[in-house]
Amino acid sequence: MTPSSSSRPAVVGNAVGAAGTMAGAAAESGVVLSVEPIDMVGLLAGAHHPRAGAVVLFSGEVRDNNRGRAVSYLEYEAYTPLAEKMIRDILEEAKTRWSLQIALAQHRTGLVAVGDTAVVVITASAHRSEAYAASRYIIDRIKHEAPIWKCEHYADGSREWGNNCNCHAVTGDVSKHIYETGR
Amino acid sequence: MKIHVYAGLKDYFEPEFEVEGEARNTDELKTLLLAINDKAEAMLSSCRFAVEEGFIDNAYKLNSHDTIVIIPPSSGG
Repeated sequence: MTPSSSSRPAVVGNAVGAAGTMAGAAAESGVVLSVEPIDMVGLLAGAHHPRAGAVVLFSGEVRDNNRGRAVSYLEYEAYTPLAEKMIRDILEEAKTRWSLQIALAQHRTGLVAVGDTAVVVITASAHRSEAYAASRYIIDRIKHEAPIWKCEHYADGSREWGNNCNCHAVTGDVSKHIYETGR
Repeated sequence: MKIHVYAGLKDYFEPEFEVEGEARNTDELKTLLLAINDKAEAMLSSCRFAVEEGFIDNAYKLNSHDTIVIIPPSSGG
């Protein structure tokens, strides 16, 4: 595993940050995976656009339990080159499909504590329906398709790689998925 | 042929290793991998294969110089 050492998010669009910075331009060479904690407040502060009347932020966070077992922390691993490419492609597709002003995602790798953010998706559009729909689309596809895996470390000291996408059991094809929001 | 595995597959194989023998496609590669550890059969059946930044299927002709990445089902988010 070669986790990324950068904490810059992938941004598709031209976000004008609260401090006047061009978050979109700054992220041109950024990556979507980060071993560092995600600066959710900073990302949101940079996710404003004069043509966007709606900004939606989704934060996927670490629970202290799963299927009745106490969870101490999660460990995320990724095949970084492909995961970053796929997430960028997903963001580009969403931006086109919903005419988004901003589409941004960042996912943690490494150890993530209970209560910390594992993944953030921010979408901005003229009206809320597009921003909500795009947010669901982006996080669904990241969870099902991007080569990122989580290992749950339990309070009893055991661990388990789990919660894998299991769509292939229904579709019969490891490349075909069933999404909550349909396609 | 170099192999990289991730996540739960590391319970069956070293994270990086080389396979001996010829594999012309991913089906033949699976056979070689099961010769190393046949307990990985169920997991391998749900995995995708990639070379560099692209997924490959069984029609892809493997090269002995390729580094093959074996990708279990995703569980991000």
